[in-house]
Amino acid sequence: MDMTSPQAAGAAQTDIAVEITGLDKWYGSFHVLKDIGLSVRAGEQVVICGPSGSGKSTLIRCINQLEQHERGRIMVNSREVGPKVRDMHEIRRDVGMVFQHFNLFPHLTVLRNCTLALTRARGMARREAEAVARHYLERVRIPEKADKYPSQLSGGQQQRVAIARALCMNPKVMLFDEPTSALDPEMIKEVLEVMTRLAEDGMTMLCVTHEMGFARKVADRIVFMDGGCIVEEAPPATFFDAPKTDRARLFLSQIL
Amino acid sequence: MTFDFSFALSIVPTILAAMGMTIAVAIVSCFGAALLGFLLEILRRTGKPMGYLMRFVIDFIRSTPVLVQIYFLYFVLPFYGVTMPALVVGVLALSVYYSGYLAEVFKAGIDSIPSGQFEAAKALGLTRIDAIVFVVAPQMLRNVAAPMGNYFVSLLKATPYLAVIAVPEMLGAAMEVASDTFRYAEPMVIVGILFLILAVTIAQFVRLLEQRLLASAKR
Amino acid sequence: MSFLAILAGIFEGFGVTATITFYGMLYAVPFALVFGILQHFTAGPARVVVTSIIEFWRSSPVIILLFVFYYSLPSFGITLSGITVGAMALGLNIGGYGSQSVRAALQALDPGQVEAGRALGLRRLQILALIELPQAFKAMTPTFINQFIQLIKGTALVSLITLTDMTFRAKEISQLQYNPVGTYTALLVAYFLVCYPATIFGRWVEKRVSIEGRGQRDL
Repeated sequence: MDMTSPQAAGAAQTDIAVEITGLDKWYGSFHVLKDIGLSVRAGEQVVICGPSGSGKSTLIRCINQLEQHERGRIMVNSREVGPKVRDMHEIRRDVGMVFQHFNLFPHLTVLRNCTLALTRARGMARREAEAVARHYLERVRIPEKADKYPSQLSGGQQQRVAIARALCMNPKVMLFDEPTSALDPEMIKEVLEVMTRLAEDGMTMLCVTHEMGFARKVADRIVFMDGGCIVEEAPPATFFDAPKTDRARLFLSQIL
Repeated sequence: MTFDFSFALSIVPTILAAMGMTIAVAIVSCFGAALLGFLLEILRRTGKPMGYLMRFVIDFIRSTPVLVQIYFLYFVLPFYGVTMPALVVGVLALSVYYSGYLAEVFKAGIDSIPSGQFEAAKALGLTRIDAIVFVVAPQMLRNVAAPMGNYFVSLLKATPYLAVIAVPEMLGAAMEVASDTFRYAEPMVIVGILFLILAVTIAQFVRLLEQRLLASAKR
Repeated sequence: MSFLAILAGIFEGFGVTATITFYGMLYAVPFALVFGILQHFTAGPARVVVTSIIEFWRSSPVIILLFVFYYSLPSFGITLSGITVGAMALGLNIGGYGSQSVRAALQALDPGQVEAGRALGLRRLQILALIELPQAFKAMTPTFINQFIQLIKGTALVSLITLTDMTFRAKEISQLQYNPVGTYTALLVAYFLVCYPATIFGRWVEKRVSIEGRGQRDL
């Protein structure tokens, strides 16, 4: 990149994939997110952890506006998202999401699950889309299941398909909402492996998870949330070995 | 005037000949009602003013007799310069009437789709319409197969209402025989028996189809 | 003639509409209870007979039932008043539907309830009256209200056998002065005014029953 060009400042700004400032959200009278500020650089892997009910899932669901915030600003790839943004569906195409319960479309084959958004949202030809889908199914090591239906797959396989489905859109950011929480222990590993390789390839990732081994190995940064606030933010080594707050220490003692 | 059995038998073919019309009206109206009902339900789910308006439209359709709706369309539309053959008015009226009921069926069908499906469609960046067509509608159709079948049978049994605007379905054919011969008892008994056989047969057929569909959905 | 005057004219027929509805219920409710319970209890040939009787009333289109009885009974030497024929045909048709919700509600009960009654030394009819029916009634109420609305709407048919109900009055008014738009709009409104409160009440009851319903919802 030519750093002397007048766009240098702008280019530096686009290096930030997600920028959240002063974010507040309420469920009725319950204050779920309190003045959240978080910035994620492109290519960074951030793991968000914390006790259940701390607002971590709500936070990443605000990033692609599956939940709407009441106050504050969320910028995704330099575009503001919010309830009043009309072309939200276009912004979402660059933000992949993997859900706790996979949410594959049960009436479509694995291949069609992957190509649906490519053909409909990206306007890609069916044949080309299928080539893309097969490429990503290969990457999640499940190419042989392309013509099966989701219900014919194990949980771990379904989650890998869900990751492939999100990757097909060639997203700039990937959001993971407790991707292994609904899986049997023996299937967690295969999903974490796929996620680890994704991180190694430099994908920008925000990941809500209880898998602390994965967090320590993969994350550039751990964000610890409790009671709707970001309580601590540190590199994994610091966070796991020398947590600064009592709440983080308590959480780690319960989970490790 | 006593019941004349040989006359009754002699008019069976005339009334049977109208069975095709009865079935055709029921099938076309069923498609019309499904399309209109789906549209009503989807619009009901949009923003507030539109949602309330559609809720009212659905309730209004369900709170007025189909016979009156047939009269309304038949007598009122021409007044506004819209003249259509009675058959078209009849199919339109049955479609409108049953759309109110199918909208409720679709509501239940959509409500029983897990919310994660809507979220996944959103997260992938599908537009609202694409999400409805490719994600919601196909899953909804599986959920509503059984009640849809019941309403189809019900719709079949509502087709003789169209006799009041002289659509030549089975009851219409029977009424014509009656007014030609001045004998009402025989045509009415015959159309009653034939319709009962038709309705019971179709109901069995629909039940069979449902079971097939449910079996194939369990993949 | 203003819209309100037309509406008032139409409501002159409300007495007949209400009378047919009332007498119709006198046929519908006992028929639904007796035949629903019989279908629940009987087996083998007896059940075939019970089911056939229910199917006759339920599967025949109500307009055809009405015409068959109105036009055909006299030729078998039976003369009934229009009100009786109307109430009977409409009532037993709705009763046929009602019997199915009675049977379904009884069958949905936990068989342990009957066993518990037996263990307490109650006789079968006591179990039915004291244990099964009170529980089944709750599940049946919303469907019964819906069927009541169907009955009210169905009474529009008696205008075809020359009873001066609301629909008949509307036809008279529209013949007196050529104003189909006003007349038939008023007729729709008239039925809506009568049926809509019942629709709302039915929805309210349905909500209550499903919330109280034994573990139907997790929340």
